[in-house]
Order: sequence, then C-alpha cells, then structure tokens
Amino acid sequence: MTQPSPHIDHYLAEFARLERSLAGAAQDSVARERHARLKNFAKTGFPATQQEAWKYTDLRALEKRRFEGSEEAPTVGEKALDALLPANLDAHRFVLVDGHFESSLSRLESLPDGVTLRSVAQALEDGDETVTEWLSSRDDEATGAFGEMNRAFVSDGLFLQIDAGTTLDRPLLLVHYSSGRNHEFMQHCRHLLRLGDNAGATVIEQYCGDGEEDHLSNTITDVQLSSGARLHRYRLQEESRACYHVSALLAEQARDSVLINHSADLGGRLSRVDTRSHLHGNGATAEFYGVYAPDKRQHMDNHTEIDHDCEHGVSREAFRGLASGRGRGVFNGRILIRRDAQKTDSELSSDALLLSPRAEIDAKPELEIYADDVKAAHGSTVGQLDEDAIFYLRSRGIDDDGARAMLVASFADELLGQWAPEALQQHVRRALLTRLPDGARYADFA
Amino acid sequence: MLKIENLKAEIEGKAILNGLDLEVKPGEVHAIMGPNGSGKSTLASVLAGRELFEVTDGSVDFQGKDLLDMDADERACEGLFLGFQYPVEIPGVSNLYLLRAAVNARRKYRGEDEIDAMEFMQHVKDKAGVVGMDMDMIKRGVNEGFSGGEKKRNEIMQMLVLEPTLSILDETDSGLDIDALKIVAEGINSMRSADRSTVLVTHYKRLLEHVQPDHVHVLAKGRILKSGGMELADALEAEGYSGITDEAAA
Repeated sequence: MTQPSPHIDHYLAEFARLERSLAGAAQDSVARERHARLKNFAKTGFPATQQEAWKYTDLRALEKRRFEGSEEAPTVGEKALDALLPANLDAHRFVLVDGHFESSLSRLESLPDGVTLRSVAQALEDGDETVTEWLSSRDDEATGAFGEMNRAFVSDGLFLQIDAGTTLDRPLLLVHYSSGRNHEFMQHCRHLLRLGDNAGATVIEQYCGDGEEDHLSNTITDVQLSSGARLHRYRLQEESRACYHVSALLAEQARDSVLINHSADLGGRLSRVDTRSHLHGNGATAEFYGVYAPDKRQHMDNHTEIDHDCEHGVSREAFRGLASGRGRGVFNGRILIRRDAQKTDSELSSDALLLSPRAEIDAKPELEIYADDVKAAHGSTVGQLDEDAIFYLRSRGIDDDGARAMLVASFADELLGQWAPEALQQHVRRALLTRLPDGARYADFA
Repeated sequence: MLKIENLKAEIEGKAILNGLDLEVKPGEVHAIMGPNGSGKSTLASVLAGRELFEVTDGSVDFQGKDLLDMDADERACEGLFLGFQYPVEIPGVSNLYLLRAAVNARRKYRGEDEIDAMEFMQHVKDKAGVVGMDMDMIKRGVNEGFSGGEKKRNEIMQMLVLEPTLSILDETDSGLDIDALKIVAEGINSMRSADRSTVLVTHYKRLLEHVQPDHVHVLAKGRILKSGGMELADALEAEGYSGITDEAAA
C-alpha cells in the first residue's frame, strides 16, 4: 500500500480544476483515457531513486513544487521570441507558448500537398477522428509517472502526417516557449509525427524560455515511421534555469525506415530525457546522437533505448557529455537485441569530459543481446581536457579561456558538426560556447 | 633580444636547469646542442611558459620585459614562438582556425582590429607554399593524421604565418628526411633578418649545414658548458659530446 502523498493529492485536485477546460473534454474516449492515466499516476507518484532508471536523478526538489496548469497562454512578443530562435533558419514554424499553439507566431503557409499539420487541441475541438483515436489508444508504451501525467494533462501539441512518397520541403521548427512568468506553472505537450511509406521530413524541437519562475515542461513525441520513411529529428533544449524539463521520444519503425535523432541539452535546472525506438521492421535504422553540458548546479539525465525486434537492423548511438561547475550528467544507453533480430549491427559510444573537480558524469552502456549472429560494439570514456593541447594553443597566443573553449567546441563538434541545416548548426554551437568563459569569441568555430 | 641569467628550473623536485646563461642579440641564429637529458627541451619549454616546470632562480629578459612574469599566451603575443619537438594533434580544431585565432590574438594584444579574411587567407596560402603544404592539409584538424615530417613542416608554416621576433625550434630537424630538412631550413632562412632571432635546439649538425648559426653552444647537465662557432658543431660531430663534457668538468 502506497503512502498517501501530498503531491499526488495536489495533482488530483489540479486535474479536477482543469478537467472541463482540457482539450477534447467533450469527447468521452479522450476523457476516459485522461482519467485512466491520472489513476496510474496517482498509484505511484513521482519515481524515487530506489528505482534503477532513476538511480542518479533525485526528484525530491521537484516533488515539493505544486505545479499548476493554465487554460491559456500569455502574450509573447514576436521580437522577444525571434531573439531565441535560430537566426536565418529557413523553416516552417509551429509555436507553442506555455503548452498552447499560437498561430500568430507560427509560419505554416505553403505546406506541400500530402502534408497534414494540426494543433492537437484544435483537432480535438473539431472531433478529428485520427487524432482522437491516437490520443485514446491504450497500446502505447508507458513511460512512468511523467508519461502518465502527460497523458492525463496534455493541453496541446503538433499532429503531423506526411503521406506516402511525400517529402517535407523545408525543416519544421517546433518551438516550445515557456514564459516562466507564473509561479510553479506546468505544461504537457504531446506530438505525433507520422510518416507514410518513403516519406521524409526534418523536425526541429526547440525548447526555450527566459522566465525566472519555477516551471515544469513535460513533452512526449510519438513517431511512427512506415516502410522506407526517413525522419531527421533534432531536440534543442535551451530552457531557462528555472525549468524542470522532462521529455520523451517514442518511436516505432517499420521496414527500412530511418530515424536520425540529434539532441543538445544546454538549459534547465533538471532535465530528464527518454529517447526510445522500437525497430519492428527488417532493415530499419536508428541513430541517436546527443550532447549534454551541465554546468553550475544543472542536472541532465539522458536515457536511451533502441529495441531491435527484427532482422538486419542498424543502430548508431553516440553521446558526449561536458560537465563543469557542479554540473551532473547521467547517460544510460540501452540496446536490446531480441532473439529474432539476427544480423543486427549496433554501435554505442559515450564520451565525457569533466571540466571541473566537482562535476560528475555517470555513464552506462547497457547491452542486452539474445540473438547469436549480430555485431554489437560499445565504448565509454571519461576524461579531462588535454593539458598538452592547451599548452600548444597557448604557445600560439590563445589565452587559457580561449584554448579551453576551442577544445570543448572540438569535442562537441564531433556531433554538432552533423547538425543541418547550417543555420541550425551555428545556433547550437553558439548556444554551447556562449556558456563558457569568453566562449562567444570562438562561436565561429569550424 | 633575449638575455638569460643563472636560470634554474626543476620538475617535481628534480633540478633540470642549473644556472644557465645565454644572450641572443637581434638578427642572430644560435644553436644549442647537447646529449639526451641535458635540459635542451626543458629550456625551450621554460622559455615558452610551460607551467609543468618550476623556475627556482634566475631571470629572463625578452626585449626589455621580464619573460618569466608572463603567461605562455602573453609570451607568444610579445613575439616568442616555440616549434615543438612533438607537435600535438588536435582533431576538430582546423589548422586554419588555429592560425586565424592566433593571428587575431596577437592583433588584439596590440590593440589592432581583426585581420581581413581575404588578406589572411592569401597570407596563409603563401606561407604554406614555402613549406610545400596545400590548402587541403591546412583545412584539416591541427596535425591530425600528419606524418612526423608533416608535423614539423606545419610548425615552420605556423612560424612563418605568425612572424615571431624570436623563434625557439626544439629538435625541428628530428625525424625529417633530406628533402623535408631542406624545406624546413628554407623556411627558417626565409625568416632571417636584422630584427629577428632564432634558437635552434638540436642533436645533430645536419640542420646547421643548411641554416648557418652565428653561435653554437653545448648544453649539458643544465648549463652551457661551451660556446663557439660552427667549428664547435664540427668538433661535436667528430668527437661526440663526451670529450666536451669531460673537458668542461675537468
């Protein structure tokens, strides 16, 4: 019997307060699903460090907060928002402000034929059957208490469907702006990116904000890739330091589909990110790459899972951590190769740099292999900046801060150098470097 | 240009330099020769500002300033250059980026604007040509995948681009074949002028046949034991170091 917990009571009350205003409230199947999920959440409350998957991430501070939802978004100036987005990025733009789609800040004209793009809240209002069905389905994988909480409280999100054979002409920038204006505010977004046979798209999820009040940002992105579909997905986390950021990617991949997922965790007070893909068709490819850079007292936790459930699957995974100050990073990369997943080809690497004596990184590759004819390689390193390289750079006239910034940039650039388009790459590199002493001067790196 | 007096340095309590004196005047080329473990590379590192070594006594005056009081990067901005015996590989930082950052660091130090991008590119292209490096190599990571000889040519190329007033070249000749040795020597000679000086740290005479030094010194046991001209290098090549070091010890 679980002890009754004040935080659970709070969220039950909060749900009761918001229920009538939540998207799709008029639809029974959606409402039933919300209730079921809330019940699941109430059974457990937030996870504790006794649970293996939460061993290094202590949520006691988060648990003390009493986050509240809101029925509408505050007004945000276009200029204020533009200052946070990648400059010169030629992209479609879908903007969520505190968990609500904001059409006036979005740029969605001239979408190609075969592309359906909707706000989840609007689709529910309109009784869109596809969206209702998706949000009511019970077969999606559970992602613990935050997943249940998200499904109970979800306010809005992006529904993107790309028909077979269609390619989205430009990247889609999916902006999650958190105002951080209201004390202990929470938002729960849920997205679906559904690509038909041989369809293609690039989606950039950006999380940003500049407010100083504590808030919770909790997002789930469902990805469904049909045969031969190709998705490049970027996750750029630049939340304010007052944000508790939780997000999950849950992907299902059919035959020969390709998912390339890049992430950068730079902001937030605490972040927990689960990135998962289930390869259920032969010859599917999943590539997960991530840079995380906790500094000061930031805590960043990345858990990944690639589930090889079919033959000839390919997975590539590389994460690079850069911890400074009293920052703490956690990486857990799980690769599961099931018995029938013969001829799987899998590589996993984790590299970390500790830039200060009090920084900490806990990295763990986790391979679980039940098939006998597979290639699976993994490696893990933790080190410090190379003092010989620092002296070499200093002997050329570059000062200590500059030498360190250049070496940090080169370490991260192994992964950030693959970000495309160029405007996005420059943005993420600059975002990383401006956090270092004198780093902005080296943002033109590469 | 450079005046070293009674320089003493140690690493982890072990004395390496034991009261070294050396004066280099503008326009001069000095060769410092000596057996393994004599302190040649330590001298080069101490002058460049490597903090691994602790200077326990003595002074170094560089163009009227206290060299030992400056950080490694300040020394470089003041016009000192160290050619490394073992140049470091820095994958991910391109040679070109390093050079531009280094050139601009100097300009910033002197209160000048950043170099014009076109002008810089032409400058690098010219200097790379002197040591037979193409732009593809320049665009690669610093010394990344370079052979031993290519790394040394890269050191010389950097020296040519940065135009230091004092160059200290630590065994730049080691590991070079005859052709590469000539290329490196040409690079060094192209820098010779009335207001630039060079200190060549080397084991062997062969580089000195291509770059005629004004002075030759023998360094052993952390001190300059003997100084002379090219004839000293000839004597060392013929008789080995033991003759000189025994003679000085007697």
